[in-house]
Amino acid sequence: MIALEVKNLSKTYPDRARPAVNNISFSLPNGEVLVLVGPSGCGKTTTLRLIAGLERADSGLICLNDRLVASPEHFTPPEKRGVGMVFQDHALFPHLTVFDNVAFGLRGGNPRQIRQQTGEMLALVGLEHLAQHHPHALSGGERQRVALARALAPRPVLLLMDEPFSSLDADLRNTVREQVRTILKSMVATVIFVTHDQEEALYMGDRLAVFHDGEIEQIGTPEQIFAASATPFVAEFMGDSDFLAGEITPQGILTVIGILRQDHELPDGAQVQVAVRADDIEFSVHEAGNGAIVERIFLGAFNLYRLRLDNGQVLHAFKSHTEVLPAGARIHARLSPGHPLAIFCEAGPSG
Amino acid sequence: MQITAPALPRKFFPPAANRRLAFTAVLVAAFVAIPLVYILIRAVNGEAEVWYRLLNTRIWILLGNTLLLLVVVTGGASLVGVSMAWLTERSDLPGRSVFRWLLALPLALPAYIGGIVHLTLLREPGGFIPQLLQAFFDQPVYTPSPLGLWGAAFILTLFTYPYVYLLSGAAFRTLHASLEEAARTFGHNPWQTLWHVTLPALRPGLTAGALLVALDILAEYGTVALLRYETFTSAIFVQLAGRYDRAAASVLSGVLVSLAIVILWAELRLQGKARYTQLDSHWRPAPLQPLGRWRVPALLLVFSVLSASLLIPVGVLIAWSITAFLDPDTLSAVLRTGSQGFGSYIWNSLWSSALAALLGVTLSLPVALYSVRYPGRFSRFISRFCQVGYAIPGVVVALSLVLLVNRFMPILYATPLVVVMAYVLRHMPQAVRSSESGLNQLSPSLEEAARTLGRNPLQTLSQVTLPLIAPGLLAGGALVFLTSLKELPATLLLRPAGFDTLAVRVWIWAEEGFYMHAAPAALLLVLISAIPLSFLLRREQIFR
Repeated sequence: MIALEVKNLSKTYPDRARPAVNNISFSLPNGEVLVLVGPSGCGKTTTLRLIAGLERADSGLICLNDRLVASPEHFTPPEKRGVGMVFQDHALFPHLTVFDNVAFGLRGGNPRQIRQQTGEMLALVGLEHLAQHHPHALSGGERQRVALARALAPRPVLLLMDEPFSSLDADLRNTVREQVRTILKSMVATVIFVTHDQEEALYMGDRLAVFHDGEIEQIGTPEQIFAASATPFVAEFMGDSDFLAGEITPQGILTVIGILRQDHELPDGAQVQVAVRADDIEFSVHEAGNGAIVERIFLGAFNLYRLRLDNGQVLHAFKSHTEVLPAGARIHARLSPGHPLAIFCEAGPSG
Repeated sequence: MQITAPALPRKFFPPAANRRLAFTAVLVAAFVAIPLVYILIRAVNGEAEVWYRLLNTRIWILLGNTLLLLVVVTGGASLVGVSMAWLTERSDLPGRSVFRWLLALPLALPAYIGGIVHLTLLREPGGFIPQLLQAFFDQPVYTPSPLGLWGAAFILTLFTYPYVYLLSGAAFRTLHASLEEAARTFGHNPWQTLWHVTLPALRPGLTAGALLVALDILAEYGTVALLRYETFTSAIFVQLAGRYDRAAASVLSGVLVSLAIVILWAELRLQGKARYTQLDSHWRPAPLQPLGRWRVPALLLVFSVLSASLLIPVGVLIAWSITAFLDPDTLSAVLRTGSQGFGSYIWNSLWSSALAALLGVTLSLPVALYSVRYPGRFSRFISRFCQVGYAIPGVVVALSLVLLVNRFMPILYATPLVVVMAYVLRHMPQAVRSSESGLNQLSPSLEEAARTLGRNPLQTLSQVTLPLIAPGLLAGGALVFLTSLKELPATLLLRPAGFDTLAVRVWIWAEEGFYMHAAPAALLLVLISAIPLSFLLRREQIFR
């Protein structure tokens, strides 16, 4: 069943020339985690707030569980939409205990039932022992889990998460996101998750929607988005791609570092851009060669080399951490993709 | 389910709560606006003959007198305020943590009470100090007169410098150590750093404090009347209470309010700019400046400011109170005047000021909610408009309410409610500012979280917003209470017969020359004022 249907949604803030969200449409089946990902200011948070009812759309429709909640003629206020939201700053009520925070959204039942449900939610996120503490006494990760428990407690149709891990330290973030994904999957929650971090997006999402300038560039599984980027922007934003100029020939796609043989439907002679990532490039030290090492960036498990080809093109390539080569060394680079590369006609990276 | 999205042109949809809130805020602004607009209309429509008469004689003298006092006191208060703030915040002055407190306390003393004390001490002949000197040297010794411009300037400087002191003290505290350190690394010595870096960085806070002093001076009545220095306020008071010439009073009020509005406008413009002295996460306190051989003179300076503004007035009031209690005749006069007992003055002061505080905070809420949660040109205009009370001196509020109530609500005339209304009109700006700063510190996501958890806007307000901004509201209420308690001219002009507050009673007794009688009431007024004041000071990190 479809939990959420968004059609032709647009929103322009007053005093802004460009729309924050420009005519976007997508739908979300029950139990799926959809990640909205894109650089800051691309409209993903606005989309989330429109779905929550915290902003009004200028045009378009939003349906939750086949119930129309927003259209140009109709607006259901957030308290009547039945969506849960986890905020970037967690927004825990500082004047309430952890228990009362989680119980805040549970109303109408008898007190015993509320107590039991709250207890279950706290157990789910592993925080029963902190029930009587106030939020200021908790660590960042604990606050994160209280915010999640509070949003999930009323069993929302849809859970919205707005950059929920951005206030956590980098090392904590990985642990917390594993916990959160496990909890969400165990509850079969339907989730829209907003982030600007591509790695987080790939980890959290069953599907990803890549946003750019208020529009959705591509929706698909993490694998599709990563391996079969639909636009140069997606290729660059989701995989740090370099773009290599190429020409379609009968033998394959001719580039400055070799011929790429893969299926395509382009006519001979067409000028294209090939998106290549650091793992698609192989190089070896070679006196004649076709380029030189600009610098080595040590990443721990890998060395990332920045290479400059003789035509000025800059590429990146991985080597194992044991292979240390000096900057300035002449090299020979070639293509060695293990999979088809994304090819774009005529256009370079748009971002 | 078939969905089609009609491509409607973009429309501006304010959420439902927004419209209702805007309407309420506009109502509050209208309530504030009526007395102001009314007095300006009366002034402009004043008979040409009245204008000619005043323009030919009084206005220029009054304008000169008022501006002269304003400039001298604002300058003096800035000088005293900044130097006291620097000594207690940035130097290694011994005992600075105690002085820091004490130097703010003169705010609990109405300036005219300080004036009464200094007048009895200094007045010629017969003042305490001249007599003492004459007895000692066996011949009359010249002492400066507390009357006139310089006397009024002296007294008003002593009791208004805390505005500058508190605002510039806060700015000194929040200034980054790195700012001064950077100046030092560029080769400035400590004094050059103070002049070229520290003070310019303080300028917004300093100027805001100075402008508040200026507004206070424009509104001041008690001190200038007592020390016989004629300004707009005292002239308006005389026209109103002595000659019953409302036309002339309206014209003078119109000129005074126009002057005050210019100053208020400047102050409001500075509000936003004063923000860059706020703390951020990298803040660390700047190192203290050693005073070295200036330590003793500095200590003497602080001590003399403190003596003149706090220790001597309070000491004299205590001494007089004791004398009054020891003398049975005086004591019975203090405890009962006509049908009124001492208890009724206290009660009248308390309930009228508390009601004004409650009303002021309540009315400030929609204005603050509208301007903070829906920022825009219009909401900012409404918020600023509601602060216009700063620019309406007590005598002008009184005049305006006398005229308005007489004409449109005679049933309210000569009831204490008109007095409370005057307090609210005049002191609500302080509540508006406190509520706004409270709301500014509250992340909107808390309210949004409550909405997504099933609360409608009103439930969100009562269950989340109000509990969380309660300290800010209480601070606003404390400010309104404190200033209403001290308010003299509006109470004098508007009170029904028999409605005596502590402030009024002190004034009446002092005017009749019964200083001993006035002392217990004055002392009590100071003590009651000290309660909300110390609450307000405690909210500042440094006074904890």
